Amino acid sequence: MDSQEAQEYLTNFVNVTSTQFHKLPGSAIFLRYVKSSYQDDPVRSAVELFLVLFAIRYLLAPKYSTKPNYVKLSEEEIDDLVDEWVPEPLVAKATPFEDAELEKRPVIVGPSGPRSKLTNGRTVTNLASYNFYNFVSNENLKERAIQTLRTYGVGPCGPPGFYGTQDVHMKIEADIAAFLGTTACIIYAQAFSTISSVIPAFSKRGDIIVADKAVNYAIRKGIQISRSAVRWYEHNDMEDLQRVLAKVTKEQAKKPLTRRFIITEGLFENVGDMADLPKIIELKLKYKFRLILDESWSFGVLGRTGRGLTEHQHVDAAEVDMLIGSMAGPLSAAGGFCAGSDEVVEHQRLSASSYTFSAALPAIAAVTASETLMMLQTQPELFVQLKENIRSMWTQLDPRSDWMYCTSTPENPIMLLTLKPEVVSSRRLTIEDQQQLLQDIVDECLAQNVLITRAKTLPAGPSGAKTDVYVPSPALKVCITLGLTKKEIEKSGIIIRHAITKILTRKR
Amino acid sequence: MTSDKSGRRRRSSSIIYQEPPESLEQISDQSALPNLNSQWVNAKGAWTIHPVLIIGLKILFDIIPGMTQEISWTLTNITYMAGSYLMFHWVRGVPFEFNAGAYDNLNMWEQIDNGDQYTPAKKFLLMVPIVLFLLSTHYTHYDFTYFTINFMALMAVVIPKLPQLHRMRIGLFSDPPDE
Repeated sequence: MDSQEAQEYLTNFVNVTSTQFHKLPGSAIFLRYVKSSYQDDPVRSAVELFLVLFAIRYLLAPKYSTKPNYVKLSEEEIDDLVDEWVPEPLVAKATPFEDAELEKRPVIVGPSGPRSKLTNGRTVTNLASYNFYNFVSNENLKERAIQTLRTYGVGPCGPPGFYGTQDVHMKIEADIAAFLGTTACIIYAQAFSTISSVIPAFSKRGDIIVADKAVNYAIRKGIQISRSAVRWYEHNDMEDLQRVLAKVTKEQAKKPLTRRFIITEGLFENVGDMADLPKIIELKLKYKFRLILDESWSFGVLGRTGRGLTEHQHVDAAEVDMLIGSMAGPLSAAGGFCAGSDEVVEHQRLSASSYTFSAALPAIAAVTASETLMMLQTQPELFVQLKENIRSMWTQLDPRSDWMYCTSTPENPIMLLTLKPEVVSSRRLTIEDQQQLLQDIVDECLAQNVLITRAKTLPAGPSGAKTDVYVPSPALKVCITLGLTKKEIEKSGIIIRHAITKILTRKR
Repeated sequence: MTSDKSGRRRRSSSIIYQEPPESLEQISDQSALPNLNSQWVNAKGAWTIHPVLIIGLKILFDIIPGMTQEISWTLTNITYMAGSYLMFHWVRGVPFEFNAGAYDNLNMWEQIDNGDQYTPAKKFLLMVPIVLFLLSTHYTHYDFTYFTINFMALMAVVIPKLPQLHRMRIGLFSDPPDE
């Protein structure tokens, strides 16, 4: 019979497997374990059996990725994709506007100064460099710089934390701290990367930044690198700032404590106007925020002795948690600094990427900054003269022009002239049209031997993309210098004004 | 889940929510450097340390005077499970600063092998508590009380390891964070 055979076969099979099983090493232990674990408790044994089965299933399951849109490509597909890939050009093709600008770009030969020689042989009045106090033409400074070069060489060849720090660096740090009245100061090798490095050193992912909408490109980059959540407030609108601060405080009331910062500029690079520091300090104390103030354009300019916005608005510099400034503009040296408390400064020595990873400031620049800082302190007449020169230019341009007005404060030696809103609206000018008009004015001025420039701004980029991106209005940039007499300034002012009128009244 | 970009959405009554996929910035920060926090589970000796620690714990509990085998095994089991829960499932983020907090929302289990499931390390790390549990029930002589305690401890570390619970959060006392 079939069933009998099958039964016999089965018994035989069971016997064989059982003897084979008993021959296996460790089978006795396994049997003893199974026997002792049953213990007349089927439920518990079932649980254990289930666990063992689950473990075996888990062990045998194949690996897979949980990344969204994960596609596994074969070698050929990868090769195909690589072959198909055409890199975008590193530099996009120049627009006609850029081409035209490039063709007409003036090139200075020899040293730059209030009067500069161009490659076409003409000598022009230079109102396009940040040479406010004409330190560029100072022979003593040049001599001092050459001496320093002979002693220290060109660069320190290392980051500050890695043999890059020299005595002159420590001196300029002490000088600036003493000048501002803060307890400490740290210097950076590059003015631009100072603020973009200070912000991410303190503000991290999960922290909150409240920033002015018109802040410059370097600040925007810093905010972007910091990965913090950013809230923008309307440019210089203290009521809006208060509203934003109150909103943030309310939202965060029940959440774990995070670091919070207000970021603004002393003199705005894009607009030229001034922040209302006493009000900001009041608000930051009320809502418990820290203040990062970028004084890149106001340090060495504002105030009775050039201490910047804090001195101009009678605020103690120690009230500002991180005060960032530049030694590249008015001080005619290079590099930037951050002044603040000991804790703030020492933290940056290890946590600010630009300080830790880039080579230290060349000794020449550090010495020059120390020297020019000393000159600012000992020659208060510089500020009086600069103010007079600014006023001379201001009277030639702002109140007299029918077309343009100056967005800068009257204390700012960088005058940003923008087209009046009624001009823009009545002629329906786009941003590009305005830039073209301004470029024509610049060219016209150059034809009259006055060198000025447009404010050239970089696109705000994706950091502000979450809210509306701020676009600075196109502007002419006129930089006042002490290297010119009042007469010369007035003359240039008249030339600029006439150029504006000529370009804007010409027939199309 | 893949196309859901609207953040941690959750109905007010629900206590379970899922971590949303990372933003582009987070992904680029995560891939900037290898994840030093979770990489070591694949390193040499990372597997050996588990039995070593367990034996160490067992010896430690055994030398306490008046300790019975049952209690000693149960304590070993509970201590290991608690430690492993704390390490792999409770603490989120990375204790060192090297990628700007790009892993702040993920616990270590989710960071291991970039979130891949059924990798050798994950298989090993799941096997250890199961084997330890089977051993401790065996040596506690199948006493029901010890069994229950040990089993609950085991469940606390096995359930969060399941692939189905990847990036799931239970917010019993807290709201899901925004942004």
